[in-house]
Amino acid sequence: MEEKQYTWVAALCDLPQGDIQCVEFDDREVLICHTAEGVFAVDNLCSHAEARLSDGRLKGLKIFCPLHGGSFDVRDGSALTRPAMTALASYPVRVEGDDILLAASD
Amino acid sequence: MADNNSHQPGQARAKGPTVADTLTADRVAPPQALLDNRYDFLGDDIIACSRYTSREFFDREMRDVWSKTWQWACREEHVQDVGDTYVYDIGPYSVIVVRSAEDTIQAFLNSCTHRRTRILAGEGTGYSAGFTCPFHGWSWHLDGSVDNIPGAWDFPHVGADTHGLESVGCERWGGFVFINLDPTAKPLADYMDVMPEHFAQFPLDRRKVTLHVQKILPANWKSAQEAFMEAYHNFETHNAPNGANAQYDIFGKFVSRFIHNIGNYSPEALADYPGDKWRAPPLTENEVLETLSIHGLEHDEVPPGETARAVAAADLRKLLGEKWGVDLAAVSDSIMLDSIEYHLFPNMFFFPGITIPMVYRFRPNGEDVDTAIFDLMILEPLADGASHPAPPDPVRVEIEESYTEVPGLGWLGAVYDEDTSNLLQQQQGMKSSPNGGVTLGNYQEARIRRVHLTLDEFLRES
Repeated sequence: MEEKQYTWVAALCDLPQGDIQCVEFDDREVLICHTAEGVFAVDNLCSHAEARLSDGRLKGLKIFCPLHGGSFDVRDGSALTRPAMTALASYPVRVEGDDILLAASD
Repeated sequence: MADNNSHQPGQARAKGPTVADTLTADRVAPPQALLDNRYDFLGDDIIACSRYTSREFFDREMRDVWSKTWQWACREEHVQDVGDTYVYDIGPYSVIVVRSAEDTIQAFLNSCTHRRTRILAGEGTGYSAGFTCPFHGWSWHLDGSVDNIPGAWDFPHVGADTHGLESVGCERWGGFVFINLDPTAKPLADYMDVMPEHFAQFPLDRRKVTLHVQKILPANWKSAQEAFMEAYHNFETHNAPNGANAQYDIFGKFVSRFIHNIGNYSPEALADYPGDKWRAPPLTENEVLETLSIHGLEHDEVPPGETARAVAAADLRKLLGEKWGVDLAAVSDSIMLDSIEYHLFPNMFFFPGITIPMVYRFRPNGEDVDTAIFDLMILEPLADGASHPAPPDPVRVEIEESYTEVPGLGWLGAVYDEDTSNLLQQQQGMKSSPNGGVTLGNYQEARIRRVHLTLDEFLRES
């Protein structure tokens, strides 16, 4: 099996626990979320009405959309509350020292 | 029985030392609030089973009680930052609590003023920069005022003054956010009787939520909460010796209390209980201390001249004070150990205790007569100067699951399993006796009667 290619997208020192950051990756906007359980990455555009989740709020392991209040589990992108019903793409993350690296979504 | 007959109804008490006797003998004296003792005989009529089982009665409660009473919806720390929301559902009603400005928390009906779609889905915490209905996109600012109506040309009859989100009564007390769906409701303070005065001595706003458990119980909301309103069941349900001489207070129409001593008990109070257990011979002070070892005490023996209660309270002051970074030196033995439970009509329980630091809320499970939602929160003292951490999400426990599977609940898990273990059979038993009724003890179960009397007042007023 071909090994995934990881790409540097952000520095951990710029993203304290509880914070989120939007980065460009693979020609998409991807949201990096630093939670108590680690760093996760999901698409930045809400699957409901394409609002930017980077304007929303990370609470625990959930990201809340600022437009309709829909929420997603940042660990796997799954939709948790309506009107969000479709999962966000999620991306494998590696943290190496201060480097946050992403690979393409499965 | 002979003793009871020699008293006026409601005046008989269990034999042995009273709670007040215990509290006044404690090493570290209680605040005056705990020595306050008020009780009046409230009657001994049968309470009809239909109040717990009938759809008609349930619908009346929904219309005349749940839509007209103050209920805590969340803690203030659930809505710490501007834009933070909390959706609270009660029966068919749904309310959005929002921090709309730094110092302002408001509540609105969770219902679009266009075609009534719920604006936010699902109970619990959230965040929204403003509110937008997911159906046609009508939007509002956080203060409920209209932001935008797409295609406004078609709505000349709609204005900012007519279609803002509908405001719901919202007040704060003790770190809780209360809502009331009745726009004509009196202020929350009018319903709280002694609570503001009493809780000034043990403030709940300086507590943090360390655990929130939410479980569906297989019984009407009233029988579910009534399982927690007396300590009379301790002997049979918990196989425990204390509770037979608990103190019950009725402070008014809306507030009642029990104080149930931990770390001592009265063998005499068990005089007519079956068997000799805990009575002949009674437990020694060392054996009583052993029952408190669940808290991880420093002592495993009671030094000569001491009591288990004083030793346990002192150990816990030190242990928990260091663990939490809180000065507990002046906290009374009673607040340290006892189960002290205030009930606020219709469905809320607040415990000022340190080792028994709970908050309960019981409510109908949607519109189901036969099941209830039980919210249990553990509220630990917050270190001096510390700010409130974000509360944990509720751990949801299914109807058939055990509390012992809840991480962090510890020894309480088995206790809650016992407390809730009779509910299904009780609900079934009530249905087996549709014309029958519930009989209550005059003193030990008076708090239950108080709730029914106040409930009737709300039903009558309508």
